[in-house]
Amino acid sequence: MLSELWQYTLTHGADIWSLTVQQLYLVAIPMACAIVIAVPLTILSTRVKRLYPWIIGFSNAMQTIPSLALLVLMITIGLGIGIVPATVALFVYALMPIVRNTHVGISGVPNEVKDAAIGMGATKWQLLWLVELPMALKVIVAGIRSALVMTIGFATLAALIGAGGLGSLIMQGLGMADNAIVLAGTIPAVILAFLAEFLMGRLERLLTPKGLRV
Amino acid sequence: MLTFSHLGKTYPDGTDAVVDFNLEVARGELIALIGPSGCGKSTTLRMVNRLIEPTSGTVMLDGQDYKSMDPVELRRRLGYVIQQIGLIPHLTIAENISFVLRLQGVNKQKRRERASELMALAGLPADQYLDRYPRELSGGQQQRIGVLRALAHDPEIILMDEPFGALDPLMREQLQDELKRLQQAVQKTIIFVTHDMDEALRIADRIVIMRAGRVIQVATPEEMLRNPADEFVAEFIGRQRLLRQASEVAVREIMLDNPAMVSADTGLAQSLEFMRRRKVDSVLVKGPNDVFVGAARARDVQRALEAREQSKISAYARHGSVFVGPDDPAMNAIHHMLAYGLDAIPVLGPGKVVVGIVTRGTLAGVLDDALRTSAAAPALEANA
Ligand SMILES: Nc1ncnc2c1ncn2[C@@H]1O[C@H](COP(=O)(O)OP(=O)(O)O)[C@@H](O)[C@H]1O
Ligand SMILES: [Mg+2]
Repeated sequence: MLSELWQYTLTHGADIWSLTVQQLYLVAIPMACAIVIAVPLTILSTRVKRLYPWIIGFSNAMQTIPSLALLVLMITIGLGIGIVPATVALFVYALMPIVRNTHVGISGVPNEVKDAAIGMGATKWQLLWLVELPMALKVIVAGIRSALVMTIGFATLAALIGAGGLGSLIMQGLGMADNAIVLAGTIPAVILAFLAEFLMGRLERLLTPKGLRV
Repeated sequence: MLTFSHLGKTYPDGTDAVVDFNLEVARGELIALIGPSGCGKSTTLRMVNRLIEPTSGTVMLDGQDYKSMDPVELRRRLGYVIQQIGLIPHLTIAENISFVLRLQGVNKQKRRERASELMALAGLPADQYLDRYPRELSGGQQQRIGVLRALAHDPEIILMDEPFGALDPLMREQLQDELKRLQQAVQKTIIFVTHDMDEALRIADRIVIMRAGRVIQVATPEEMLRNPADEFVAEFIGRQRLLRQASEVAVREIMLDNPAMVSADTGLAQSLEFMRRRKVDSVLVKGPNDVFVGAARARDVQRALEAREQSKISAYARHGSVFVGPDDPAMNAIHHMLAYGLDAIPVLGPGKVVVGIVTRGTLAGVLDDALRTSAAAPALEANA
């Protein structure tokens, strides 16, 4: 079977590569949206406290829906099939860990540190940029990390609603009962997941300010 | 310079935390704000830098109503030090000290210069500390930085909320002295919240004593000691003053002079038997020429015996360097016992010869006496 896999890789290398790139987009776009929207919104919810239950409530609900059902839901709410509904589904699915960790990180900044900073004349923005964000960064990045790992896993399923990516290769292999093709899709997906996990771990350490490292 | 005019705060839940607070503070004055917990000291202080907005009255700064100023600008004219210190953990000591300057947009090099300058002012070795992080410093060192940080932008007024309250008594005294020295050097107006009358008496030019949100008396330390306004003030001074006894009584006066002691070459079983007979759970060990070696705990000896170890008691003697002298204040004995978690501490004379021992029991006796006399004292003072 290994030789079959080798054979397939030789003949379809370009396809595998383009599907992998597609997979990357399928992960990167919803992740970027989730970060850009969830982080600021959650920070806002640490100032306007009544916002938080709504935000965490929504992102929790999205996580609770089984991933397959979420994809189907996208079709039923009229988004059809293809890349767009898949991106939306992956986006809402990625929110929860980011929201949760951003909130934990920002509200975990000790009161006395904030009290001293405000007492010294820090403006709201200075408090956020110079005190709260650096102190919360590690936790926020950890949230992004788990969101990313989940999204990579989920992204292979997105092929079910025609979003392409490595998932489509796996499904094609399954349909043809051809293990080599299934593996040609699975192996790059697994490598991507490990790579993401590794890189995020590095990033997390890099972004932890020196004074907070233990 | 600073005028409190009918300042009051009623919290939304209806608590009258501060009621009609009036005070005129002169330039360069150190005012201690004192009173029992919950009397409104912090609320008063935090109204000065508008971390809390007053519900009535106002504060005048050099004749200007502070409500007409922008709160952020106001705070940048003041220094602020709190008990919990609140250093910023991801910033170095240099960056922490000059944080206010950073908020004001001063460039990095000037900030660092100012940090070194302040370290020098406080007599701290700058090169040794500037690039370290807060968590690498002890509590006392951190609070020194906390105080320096409040001086960075050279504010005229510094607000301090129980800044030394979390430190151990020795460190506290040291920082009080440093603060007093610093204040004489830089001539700042300081509002200093404390609940420790000793501290207030030691450092304040004037003391403001509060109870349940109201000012009861404003006076210089001498005046307050001589003429307490009422029984509450008298009691507050009295109780606090007697706690000082522990720092005035010498170890010699309270120590027991026949501690349980064995020579270093005594066997384990024999030592244990000796402790049983004396009904003690540790024993002092002395070496040649009666020089103190350490203290052995019954627990350790027992364990060694059970493990069938064939050694002498000296192998289990610990804390050979922890002792007090007979003329040290009893307070020192308390500090050492707390610091090392000991139940007893040896008293050594010249040549490290054991002359006695202070135990938890003896200390309890001293405190008990102090508390009994303090209960009687205010009544006497009030009647006089
Ligand atoms: N945010 C708050 N809301 C309601 N009551 C408060 C608040 N902060 C303090 N208090 C109450 O106001 C009183 C004075 O508190 P505080 O100024 O902190 O006293 P102190 O510093 O003298 O211990 C206390 O009874 C306290 O319980
Ligand atoms: Mg207080």
